[in-house]
Amino acid sequence: MDLSQLEGIVQGRGSDPFDIMEVMQDIQATYHYLPEAALCRVSETMGVPLIEVFRLANFYKAFTLKPRGRHLITVCMGTACHVRNSPRFLDEVRRRLKVEPGRTTEDGEFTLETVNCLGACALAPVVIMDGKYYEHMTPAKLGSLLGAVRVQEGRPLAHA
Amino acid sequence: MPKLVSMIVDGATVRAPAGSSVLEAALEAGICIPNLCHMPGVHALGACRVCLVEVIPVAGSGRTRLTTSCTLEAREGLVVTAHSPNAVRARRNIVELLLAEAPNSRAIQDLAVRVGVRAVRYPMRNKNCVLCGRCVRVCDEVWQSKSLGFVGRGSDCHVALPFNTRPSTCKRCNTCVDVCPMTVTPCPGPQKAPAICGLCESQCSMAQNTPDTCVWCELGRGFQCARWQMRGLKAGIR
Amino acid sequence: MPRLDSPAALETLRQRLIAARAFWPVRLILSSGTCGQASGSLAVLAALRQRLDRPDLRDSVHVRVTGCQGFCDQEPLLIVDPLDVAYCRVKPQDIEEIVSQTLLEGRVVERLLYVDPRSGARVRREADIPFFAKQDRALISKNRWVDPCNVGDYIAAGGYSALAAVLSWFAPQRVIEEIRASGLRGRGGAGYPTGKKWEQCRNAPGEHRYVICNADEGDPGAYMDRGLLEGNPHLILEGMLIGAYAVGSEQGFVYVRNEYPLAVQNVRVAIEQAREMGLLGRNILGTNFSFDVKVARGGGAFVCGESTALMASLEGKVGEPRVKDVHTVERGYLDQPSLLNNVETWANVPDIIRRGPAWFAARGTETSKGSKIFALTGQVKNTGLVEVRMGTTLREIIFDIGGGPRDGKGIKAVQTGGPSGGCLPVSLFDLPVDFEALAEAGSMMGSGGMVVVDESVCMVDFAKYFLKFLQDESCGKCVPCRVGIGRMHEILTDFCEGRGTMAQLAVLEELAWTVQNASLCALGKTAPNPVLSTLRYFRDEYLAHVEERHCPAGVCKALIRYEIDDALCVRCGECIAVCPHGAIQEGETYVIDNAVCQKCGICEDACAPEAIRRTRGLVHA
Repeated sequence: MDLSQLEGIVQGRGSDPFDIMEVMQDIQATYHYLPEAALCRVSETMGVPLIEVFRLANFYKAFTLKPRGRHLITVCMGTACHVRNSPRFLDEVRRRLKVEPGRTTEDGEFTLETVNCLGACALAPVVIMDGKYYEHMTPAKLGSLLGAVRVQEGRPLAHA
Repeated sequence: MPKLVSMIVDGATVRAPAGSSVLEAALEAGICIPNLCHMPGVHALGACRVCLVEVIPVAGSGRTRLTTSCTLEAREGLVVTAHSPNAVRARRNIVELLLAEAPNSRAIQDLAVRVGVRAVRYPMRNKNCVLCGRCVRVCDEVWQSKSLGFVGRGSDCHVALPFNTRPSTCKRCNTCVDVCPMTVTPCPGPQKAPAICGLCESQCSMAQNTPDTCVWCELGRGFQCARWQMRGLKAGIR
Repeated sequence: MPRLDSPAALETLRQRLIAARAFWPVRLILSSGTCGQASGSLAVLAALRQRLDRPDLRDSVHVRVTGCQGFCDQEPLLIVDPLDVAYCRVKPQDIEEIVSQTLLEGRVVERLLYVDPRSGARVRREADIPFFAKQDRALISKNRWVDPCNVGDYIAAGGYSALAAVLSWFAPQRVIEEIRASGLRGRGGAGYPTGKKWEQCRNAPGEHRYVICNADEGDPGAYMDRGLLEGNPHLILEGMLIGAYAVGSEQGFVYVRNEYPLAVQNVRVAIEQAREMGLLGRNILGTNFSFDVKVARGGGAFVCGESTALMASLEGKVGEPRVKDVHTVERGYLDQPSLLNNVETWANVPDIIRRGPAWFAARGTETSKGSKIFALTGQVKNTGLVEVRMGTTLREIIFDIGGGPRDGKGIKAVQTGGPSGGCLPVSLFDLPVDFEALAEAGSMMGSGGMVVVDESVCMVDFAKYFLKFLQDESCGKCVPCRVGIGRMHEILTDFCEGRGTMAQLAVLEELAWTVQNASLCALGKTAPNPVLSTLRYFRDEYLAHVEERHCPAGVCKALIRYEIDDALCVRCGECIAVCPHGAIQEGETYVIDNAVCQKCGICEDACAPEAIRRTRGLVHA
């Protein structure tokens, strides 16, 4: 576990009560999850009790304690997306990829997350795949969404 | 010397230091307001919502409101009732919810009898924690150890150690286990159907007719209840 | 940008900036907020910059990239000023035509104009588009005039003049009086009188005072605050500065939810620029008023929109609300008096000072003054950010501005106030948008989410959706919310899966009362609202689910089945090809095997003659 970047993240922070959240958000952005070793080091350096750090990591949805898959699919489940049938789309993803929200597929390819509103309601139902927004998603379009990943990677995927 | 204020709790005049907890003042005066997450010596959470009282606005203006007596600060002229129809109804429903979560806890069974829960209208679960937060607060505030805490959100919320490993700050004092209401010996009676068993039925009837009746609950035994203390003194029990 | 050491210096700069802007003969305004970018505005911008990088165009055409302008359905929107032409849904490949025809020859590209669905006519000017006609766009129209990352735009448009006036001529108490007189009420949902809150904060005893902007905007389906913060961050900063001066604060925070990365970025840039110019920091505009602002990103928790939870989060803790017998205005962040207001509330402050409280109070109803931005979404044609005067009716918003139903099905209800609000049926659409009117009807104004619901939505499933949302977002501390909402969700799940009983309906109502009255915080207290309002206005749907095991909207999977109408089927085989489960059998007739069918609906969407439909399912009671 390469924790060399941790020093840079923690340096100069600690005077403001909110700094612990900023540090954890930066760790999440750098490592794409919160490694236990990193959190232990942060607890020591910043003087925040480990149980508090652990609580923060588990309370906020922005944080994950497990490494993510190579691709992140985020399905918006906000109200506007819900009335335009996002649950049907989510069900199709769950069935097709055999994965539940918050988890990663067996082969480590996809992590599925849900979010409770991205604020892009005119495009409902909205899905973000690897940072790119896809609009008006329906179960029928799932195939081409997964196919887009195949094209990017230049290789076939088991699921698509 | 903290300033004493005068309040009315369930019709009785109670005097207590300004800013102190209405629940503690009531208990010390021998007025039973059922409670679960309350514990002397640690800050009040207001989490279980069992100690709800209805605050009656004095000037005659405004509506009444339900709030937890443990977090309510004593002030001059405060008028509350723990046994108004609203307070009794809310409390009964809350304890019914608790009983459906943890039907095998003696402490909660006692509470159920005390507040008059006769039937449980939900499928029973069998949790061994109702998140009263006593263990967490005692570890944090009394021992200053900060070794365990509430982890997760919503129905995932549970008491845990950091990374599920006992940290070096844990003093192994066992106080967390001692103060847990779930470790009180369970009731010996049968518990299968979603209803209170016959042993408690008569007490339930009493509770329905006289909402503030005392059932000598297990929770009161160790925790500040004035009636238990009086009973203890009378019988010479320490 | 120079450092300004007095209000006079600001004025001088303003005049210079206005003069510089008058110089450009042609201005192109491209909306590029989060929605715009998701619709491809960045590619349009790249194409535009490339095409304009020619000697004849480079110095005569100015491109202003703005935030969201509200007409989200038609993004990316490109406005050509001074010809006053609005092009909709622009793509990179349209740029060539726009530049050669419109910019160089002054001709309009007809096919890119907005088409009025009712008349079929093409509309040229933004102001003539029916969507905008009934709006009162006091706040959202400002987004048109500013590039959020260019403080010069904001100042040229009159920005920071209210602050300068306040610092020059107003005592703090006078500022509070102006806000009181305006009748402004909190735009975050509760509608608490803003002036009163400022007064309480000023009078609360404490060593330090804090001013906080609540940009957590967790209501799903609501994004008004995103539109304002992303598109015009200086407007909010100016409001906060005025508030800080009024209550005597030196430190402020903008708490933004982390799902709004563009808003976070733009606010940070704006703060840097303001600091550079002496509009934030010590001795603002050369006076002895000092105030600075920090940005704090939320961690992804709806409950952090609640005042005590937000402040706990700001203190680096989990966002667990505390009992609010003493309000945060007296004991808030670090136990000090804290003034917390919503983004839109802050955004209203500068205009109230500049144009006077009477201007603000003249718009709206008796008790609800000014204008309000709504995020109109769901099954309506024109989704977007809509700003109307308080008192405008729901019908006007949904039909006149929103354009009516999107998919041709009848509109059934409108949901306002997010998960804390309620559903109002069509019969109540003549209600005015007003705090008290909506609350009496069983809903609430809320922060501005307005979701239109048509016949294809099952109201029981809809209520269940809100409960699931709140169950996930509950902090978990108190019993009524953590356990009670869960039990309510359990009952609704039984209803939707064909196991409901009338006894459960009674329990549901009792639970709703308990959760409403016994919960610790507003999340729990308002959680039963969607259930209570749907029970009030759509009880027939509940009874159908419970007594007849029937979902009238055809949504609850356990209560429906898909079937092929043989009379309409043309045997094209499309359904068989797209069915991911192999549930359709080809024979003399095409038949769906109910044992295999997962009710995903892909076949229904794919069937051209519309031969596939949902009927009552086979549920064994």
